[in-house]
Amino acid sequence: MENIVNDFTINVATANGTGSQSANLILLQSLFEMGIPVSGKNLFPSNISGLPTWYIIRLSENGYQAPGNRTDIQVLVNPATWEEDIAALEPGTVVVWNENSKLEMNREDVVSYPIPMTKIARSINPKLAKLITNIVYVGALAELLGIKQSALESAIKAQFKGKESAIELNTNAIELGREHFRENLTKKDPYVVKEREIEVKQFFVEGNEAVALGCLFGGAQMLSWYPITPSSSLAEAMIAWIPKIRTNDDGEANCAVIQAEDELAAAGMVLGAGWAGGRGMTATSGPGISLMQEFIGLAYFAEIPSVFWDVCRVGPSTGLPTRTQQSDITLLYEGSHGDTQHIVLFPGTVEECFEFGWRAFDITERFQTPVFGMSDLDLGMNRWACSGFEYPNEVMDRGKVIRDKDIFDAFEEFGRYLDVDGDGIPYRTLPGSGMAPILYRGTGHNPMGVYSEKPHDYLQLMKRLREKIDSSRDVLPAPILREESECEIGIIYLGSMENTIQEIDDLLEATGLKVSQCRLRALPAHSEIEKFIERHETTIVLEINRDGQLYGILRKEIPIDLVPKLRSVAYSDGMPPRGKIYADLILEILQDVEK
Amino acid sequence: MSGKRERTVKLNVINEPKDSYSGGKSSLCPGCGHDQISSVIISAAWENGVEPHKIAKMSGIGCSSKTPAYYLGQSHGFNTVHGRMPSVTTGAYAVNKDLLYIGVSGDGDSASIGIGQLIHAIRRNMDMVYIVENNGVYGLTKGQYSATADIGSKKKKGAINETQPIDLCALAINLGCTFVARSFSGSKKQLKALLKAAMSHKGFALIDVISPCVTFNNNDESMKSYGYVKENEVTLHMTDYIPHFNPISEVEVPEGHFKDITLHDGSTIRLETISEEHDPTSAMQALGALHDAETNAKHVTGLLYFDNTKASLVEDLGLVDLPLIDVTDNDLRPSKEMLEKINSAFLN
Repeated sequence: MENIVNDFTINVATANGTGSQSANLILLQSLFEMGIPVSGKNLFPSNISGLPTWYIIRLSENGYQAPGNRTDIQVLVNPATWEEDIAALEPGTVVVWNENSKLEMNREDVVSYPIPMTKIARSINPKLAKLITNIVYVGALAELLGIKQSALESAIKAQFKGKESAIELNTNAIELGREHFRENLTKKDPYVVKEREIEVKQFFVEGNEAVALGCLFGGAQMLSWYPITPSSSLAEAMIAWIPKIRTNDDGEANCAVIQAEDELAAAGMVLGAGWAGGRGMTATSGPGISLMQEFIGLAYFAEIPSVFWDVCRVGPSTGLPTRTQQSDITLLYEGSHGDTQHIVLFPGTVEECFEFGWRAFDITERFQTPVFGMSDLDLGMNRWACSGFEYPNEVMDRGKVIRDKDIFDAFEEFGRYLDVDGDGIPYRTLPGSGMAPILYRGTGHNPMGVYSEKPHDYLQLMKRLREKIDSSRDVLPAPILREESECEIGIIYLGSMENTIQEIDDLLEATGLKVSQCRLRALPAHSEIEKFIERHETTIVLEINRDGQLYGILRKEIPIDLVPKLRSVAYSDGMPPRGKIYADLILEILQDVEK
Repeated sequence: MSGKRERTVKLNVINEPKDSYSGGKSSLCPGCGHDQISSVIISAAWENGVEPHKIAKMSGIGCSSKTPAYYLGQSHGFNTVHGRMPSVTTGAYAVNKDLLYIGVSGDGDSASIGIGQLIHAIRRNMDMVYIVENNGVYGLTKGQYSATADIGSKKKKGAINETQPIDLCALAINLGCTFVARSFSGSKKQLKALLKAAMSHKGFALIDVISPCVTFNNNDESMKSYGYVKENEVTLHMTDYIPHFNPISEVEVPEGHFKDITLHDGSTIRLETISEEHDPTSAMQALGALHDAETNAKHVTGLLYFDNTKASLVEDLGLVDLPLIDVTDNDLRPSKEMLEKINSAFLN
């Protein structure tokens, strides 16, 4: 039997609230410390304790970060999903199971490793047995796969930072798990891990924390938020970092945090901060964005800088609150009633989460319009390898704000909405400045900011707003192109799909199909997008939703003769994207094109 | 010296004429109570010597919320969305705590669509003056009852209101609001004293002003008509305001009983007893007065409740002294070394 090294998927089935998350993170971290390309996906329920949770760890020499297409090693701990999990096993799967669960493991066609997890856990500490059970399987897996003890110990230390008793307890449980395997079982499967030399030192970080840090380095002055999965950890990371990096020696912060009564209020506060001249932001998810619609329209129409981070979950309605989807592309781009259009940024990596975190403020102040960052549960709440965050390479862009009386006096005529420079972006003065005070309003207004229902005023205003947003196209982050020469098929995708695209590409290439890739990073779409479509016979718009939201937007905006070149592959079942599903759908669509 | 005195423009304590506080021409119905309130806002701000540009005038949507266009033309303002003025004000306050925020709202804006935001602004003891121009009907949509319409009251058109009203003052007192007053747009002297005191208060100051709608709710059967309120107003006390720049020792001491309350900026509100003494630091007395008035179909006016012991939002936020909008970009962005430290801490 030939060994399969660093190229398999482990699925751990536990119940949430049992400490399984820390056990799984230790497992993930220890593989990472061995230099093995690895990714972890937490499939958790919308519940605090007792419902089934799966943790998928993918080891991939190719660096694939999506969950694999099959489970190679199944860890069975949760009695509630026992039968379901067993039924789903493909022949030959390795099963590490808790033999104290009183449930049957009746499959003959799998590689079975029974471990008395509960018994071992009880022998350490009967009161904490439930928690320890999870760490016992980590020990058994370590022995089975050959995970280095030093990597495990360092991962445990990182997990329980300084809590000596927890470190000792976990180290002990791992050793007993190892020992049981060593003394009672014989390895009869091909899966092993091998240490790899680490070329670039990396760390694991969640997308939400990366956005949070980016926002704080972007000079965020006010965060208002209302708790909602999967964005709460973004706000909470900001709250945790403010005392460390945005607070003086007297313990006084220069970023305010207000937990709002609802998302409407959170959005209102963001507008208030922007109106007053500050950098205000909120973090939410789809249902929150739905509630914020009215304010989003006001920010667009009254031209108030405001930043909204949307960590998408599965819609519509409450949907699947703990599953992932690129659900809100249209909602963000065309949010609120009436004719609107908004700037949306789509980070695809944790490095970009940080970068777009600070950049969003520069963009919103430059264009005096709401700016959205769209992430999703997969990118936001899972841990991703990161080589380090890059310091902003440019000074803050505070936009056309007049703070100086001399500059103000040099204006022949000042109107809040007067297009002085012909770029659609007017000048503004701030409350408290005493310069050109106006009553901001969501009603129709003329260039002086005075109420108006005159057809000419309305037409001119709406035209200017459209031109203003349109002018942002090539200022926003440009698409990332990975083009094969003279390739007929192009793929446009965005956001967290970045973590699956290489696997999709390889799967397609294995069938003899070479494709070009274009990762869109912002809306309105960069002019390169149109050129990319032009260069290819067929361009597939790939996204994680049902309706092909990005496809719909591009279809509307590209020249009509290019429209027939565009095809949609949109799929979402709530799970993080798996390469094979999308590759198969792409092949299917292309067959249809050939006909 | 000629015998004829030259007409001089009267200036306030910061040498501003009253004109510096005026606004545009009102487009409300002639006789609207709201216009009287606007004129009181102008007088109070002028007499208090507030710098006009240091005021932010905030509003929601409705007849009342249009009025910021009619006063304080030298102040920035924001006519926001329906019922959501408190949150916009809160966000502005978080980044610029040095402005005097004067919010104007209506009974539709505050007691219906925006009641949640009102409640939470009170809960945070958000530092602002919040005026409700309360007429019991929706004016801009042509006279539907609002949630403050009194039981048994009848507007110009339609049936008698049978639905229990929401008393915003009682609600505010129950929520621990730190300054709760009720007044009447026709009682300008009282309203002005209360408004000046509210401006001197640190924390959330609610003034619910009965402000008759001359078009839809000023008929005899209406309990929020000029005629009804004039006849049925129960005044808790005579209200006087002594600004911090006028030494209180120079103010004439009233003959009867009175109670002085020192406000945050050193000004004083003087409450002179009319018949029974009202203790505004007692929530029970305040709620009792409201209950009695409701039972007897009266409107009780005056400073109902006052509490200067609570921290306001700014203390809770734990911010630097400088308003955040005046913090330099350099101070807002942590250093490159800090990011390097963070990167290496993640690595190890």
